[in-house]
Amino acid sequence: MLSPYTVLDLTGGRGDLASMLLGDMGANVIKIEPPGGSAGRREPPFMEGGLESERSLNFFAFNRNKQGITLDLESEAGRNALRALVKEADFLFESGQPKTLDSIGLGFDELKNINPKIIHVAISPYGWDGPHSDYAASDLTIAAMGGPMSVQGVRERAPLRISVPQVWLHTGAEAATAALTAHALMIQTGEAQFVDVSAQTAMIATMLSATSAHAIQGTDYQRAGALLQLGQASIPLVFQCADGYAVIAPTGPTLAVIVHWFVEEGLVPESWISGEDWPTYHFRLLQGQPISYPLDEVLEAVTKLAIRYTKSQLLERGLAEGVSLAPVNSVRDLAGFKQLEERGYWLTAPLPNGQEAQVPGLVVRMTETPMSVRSWTPTLDEHNNDVLGSVLGMSKEEISLASGVDAG
Amino acid sequence: MTTPLPFEGLKVLDLSWVVVGPTTAKYLGDHGATVVRVEAATPLDILRTAGPFKDNVPGFDRSQFFGEYNTSKLGISLNLKSPAGKEIAKRLIEWADVFIESFTAGTVDSLGIGYETARELNPSIIMVSTCLMGQTGSAAAFSGFGFHAGSIAGFYETTGWSDLPPDGPWVAYTDTVAPHILSASIMAALDHRRRTGQGQFIDASQLEMSLHFLSPQIMDYSTTGKTVTRIGNRSEFFAPQGAYPCAGDDRWCAIAVESEEHWEGLKSAMGGPDWALDGKLDSMEARLENHDAIDQHISEWTKDQDAKALMQLLLSHGVPAGVVQRSSDLETDPQLSHRSYFRHLEHQEMGTVPYAGHQFRIKGYDSGPRFASPVLGQHNEQVLRDVLRMTDDEITEAIIAEAIM
Repeated sequence: MLSPYTVLDLTGGRGDLASMLLGDMGANVIKIEPPGGSAGRREPPFMEGGLESERSLNFFAFNRNKQGITLDLESEAGRNALRALVKEADFLFESGQPKTLDSIGLGFDELKNINPKIIHVAISPYGWDGPHSDYAASDLTIAAMGGPMSVQGVRERAPLRISVPQVWLHTGAEAATAALTAHALMIQTGEAQFVDVSAQTAMIATMLSATSAHAIQGTDYQRAGALLQLGQASIPLVFQCADGYAVIAPTGPTLAVIVHWFVEEGLVPESWISGEDWPTYHFRLLQGQPISYPLDEVLEAVTKLAIRYTKSQLLERGLAEGVSLAPVNSVRDLAGFKQLEERGYWLTAPLPNGQEAQVPGLVVRMTETPMSVRSWTPTLDEHNNDVLGSVLGMSKEEISLASGVDAG
Repeated sequence: MTTPLPFEGLKVLDLSWVVVGPTTAKYLGDHGATVVRVEAATPLDILRTAGPFKDNVPGFDRSQFFGEYNTSKLGISLNLKSPAGKEIAKRLIEWADVFIESFTAGTVDSLGIGYETARELNPSIIMVSTCLMGQTGSAAAFSGFGFHAGSIAGFYETTGWSDLPPDGPWVAYTDTVAPHILSASIMAALDHRRRTGQGQFIDASQLEMSLHFLSPQIMDYSTTGKTVTRIGNRSEFFAPQGAYPCAGDDRWCAIAVESEEHWEGLKSAMGGPDWALDGKLDSMEARLENHDAIDQHISEWTKDQDAKALMQLLLSHGVPAGVVQRSSDLETDPQLSHRSYFRHLEHQEMGTVPYAGHQFRIKGYDSGPRFASPVLGQHNEQVLRDVLRMTDDEITEAIIAEAIM
């Protein structure tokens, strides 16, 4: 689908997903690393054994469908090689400290002189310029400044982030959309585009209804555990079941079905079934209109019901009766989740340490231009000779100078 | 000369609801496409019934949860159960370049507006069906919200405190992952169509898109059997890190030490505290092991300090730090003001209200959003007259036939 395009990826662990998505869509992606490798190669978690530069599962996960080369941008030879690549490229992603490329003569103004149609995408914590653009940042501090932590967690403890780092994934995925938006603009104007992606604003987007809560309703939302906020009513979402937890949204459509299960289990009198117009229960709750059974009693029944079922029993019976009860899955549960298997989602990747890993497959299914994984993550310096030699026509000596690595 | 918009001239039929589909259509609309958002009055888009409501007064046209994802769209309330309503939907399919829907798998087929029909009406259409589990498989009909998919994907297991039940991310997490990926996919399909004239069908599963955000952990499990779980704000690899209490009501500052440089910076910001002087904590391993004790010392130091001043102090020592900002803080965040992030737009019922901006800026181009979200049925007449070019008589007939709610 994007096979006419070449993408240069200079990001170092803070935007790998952007070019991976374009690569899955068919683009020709070249990962350009500094001598010694991308900072992403040192990002945990790590696989067992293998070469130090190849151990990062994080790096492996987000660099498929890319060729990998090394360029020493501190040398003129390295910079010239990048200039030659830019000439033939359509997109360039970078995630260094803002203005780093400018300082070595490879800023947007220089790049667009080399290639008047280049899309230059710069990924950074807070944005390319502005009062916070030079702030030191990490996954945790950006999740804080972006806002989602203020509404996650329980009131009695600190605000909470998701334990698995998410910030650079949101930002990287958004950078793919940003790049293609800028490309559409380039098609209209014929001019190169500079795109400035801010991780902080990518995290604001995860605040959903809380984003403008204060400006709209006069108060911020407070963190209060896993709950569904319906107007002023807060309804818990996580219930303990026999072998773990499940997410159950006790709203009208769900209650209309599981009220029969309550009765079956003897948790409530049979009169409950006809004693309430269950499908509209939460609408009336939301609007403060009369309801037959108070929310407390309904929640007590849900709590007592859930503990009598296992996670998968809730899912399976729910599916059979058209109601959505979601197990709180671990990665182990996920590996056995039938739906993904049935859809042929998982791929198997050969890891550099000799093991095989199950990895997430194609992001979406397309009938005419199916996405594909054509190659797995490159090892350090793997395509120096292919790209710099075969494509740019550089000699071994020139490759050694440009990459800072002996090309033999 | 005004700068053209990236998707100027593009026509989008948005028959989706809640977050993922509407957000994706909004992207295209904010960047120039003409988007017709079709709503059925029953059942209403659930976001219209969820807060925050303007001035805390509930009302279907007062929800900014709905508003946020429906900017730069024309809104029409169509009765898809009436034959005349279906006829209008078909005319919109003929008109559109992109058709996005997010009903439970199979629903559009039973309404008679599935991909087969759409392709017959409009051979080069790009049709997108997005739902939690995808269009096929035994759980295809599992309909629900981002908290359901978030739970199945593993984001509940991995959000919370290790000694408490799963907490989960705020509301509907996978709804925040999918639009990035779905938008990029549609834009790529549009570029392919521009070059070849070929449309296609896109089957998007919110679960499948979101699992990439746990990809290293899934690989880790498949090779070592290690099961990632929730550990509060800590990291298995770096210490100390957390959100630490500050002066004031529920004010916190996040601090992350991810290297020895950060650790030296933290110690110097704290004025070289006695408890860290002996050098025993000068390794990541030692700090991971003594995280509780270190946290107590840091909290003792932070608890009476102003969160913003503390953040500045730490940053000046090279330590990543960030105030835990609430929506009220975002309103006055100078970096966001610099980026003109919030856009204040005039809404028919709510008056002037702020809308979140985009996560990126393109130099020399104002990415919007361009205009406020519609109240229910706001553009019924405009869509029929100007978009579908129906005559007055045809419009009257459609109204009599209960096509419009």
